Amino acid sequence: MKSTEQLLDLQAYVDGELPEERRRQVEAALPADLNAQELVTGLRQLGTLIRAYEPTATVPVTREFYWSQIRRQIEAEQPKAPAASAALGWLRWLIPAMGVAAVAVVVSTQQTPREITLAGGGDVTVVDVSSTVFRSESDGVTVHWIQ
Amino acid sequence: MPVSVKNDYPSEADETLVKWAQQGDTEAFEQLVFRHRDKIYARALMMMRNEDQALEYSQEAWVKSWQRLVQFQGDSSFATWVTRIVINLCLDQLRRQKRVRTESIEAMEEESGGVERQLPAPESNPTAGLEQDELRRRIDEALGKLTDAHRTVVVLHEFEGLEYKEIAKRIGISIGTVMSRLFYARRRLAFLLQSLKRERSE
Repeated sequence: MKSTEQLLDLQAYVDGELPEERRRQVEAALPADLNAQELVTGLRQLGTLIRAYEPTATVPVTREFYWSQIRRQIEAEQPKAPAASAALGWLRWLIPAMGVAAVAVVVSTQQTPREITLAGGGDVTVVDVSSTVFRSESDGVTVHWIQ
Repeated sequence: MPVSVKNDYPSEADETLVKWAQQGDTEAFEQLVFRHRDKIYARALMMMRNEDQALEYSQEAWVKSWQRLVQFQGDSSFATWVTRIVINLCLDQLRRQKRVRTESIEAMEEESGGVERQLPAPESNPTAGLEQDELRRRIDEALGKLTDAHRTVVVLHEFEGLEYKEIAKRIGISIGTVMSRLFYARRRLAFLLQSLKRERSE
């Protein structure tokens, strides 16, 4: 009876997994060992048999149903179409740029506040063309006039 | 995107369909799915032995292959590439369920050399006289009687052609365990096929 190591060596020999030196040793010992020859033949034939008659199977649902589930997942995880994403990418830069531009316009057009001293001790500050601030120091009142 | 008539897809080679699919052509990809779906499903079924899971993982494999399509360089056939994806999914699942690494009593006996000695050596022609379809069915039946751990090494070695080292890496076991499981699985298969032959002759 062979040891487990010897059996596994014979299997590795059949599978072409033995190092060269060990392979030569096994090959040299085979002609005198009928049990080993039987095992080697049996393992080879079993492998040939199961590979030749590999079990097959058919998807148990229709092609349309099978594909529709795959397509749904693909579409759910897929990034936007290239044209759409390119447009979005451009907008992503455009929107903040427009914001910055708007601020720049406001700053550049903002007029230096002008103060007008009224006879009653109040000040009128003109901050731009559409708003006027009236502050009365004596009454402690500030009025914002937006035109 | 290539300009193509839908009717052209079935007559195109995999390589062409893959190129189109890599450019975002889902119809080309659908054709690839249609062409290889049974093979991918069959591999998942062989690994999991459960129709619902096989269906789920085979579909998941197609989704993953679409997502990774740009990585496919054509080093193997497209079908082989997708098969590897479905096998990895099944292995992940089997590992999660502890179905491939758990050491059962049977596995311990096997690794100590106990059970393998009680099984017959593979017979020269254990299935002589069986029709091809019958033979295929019986082999499937015999594979189904192996434990997940044993069947997995057989699938990876015999059908996927992986070396011991690669199988060990994929499953997360030692090369010695791969060899031992493979040896036991083969002897058990031989035994089961011989039993089926005996049943038939009775």
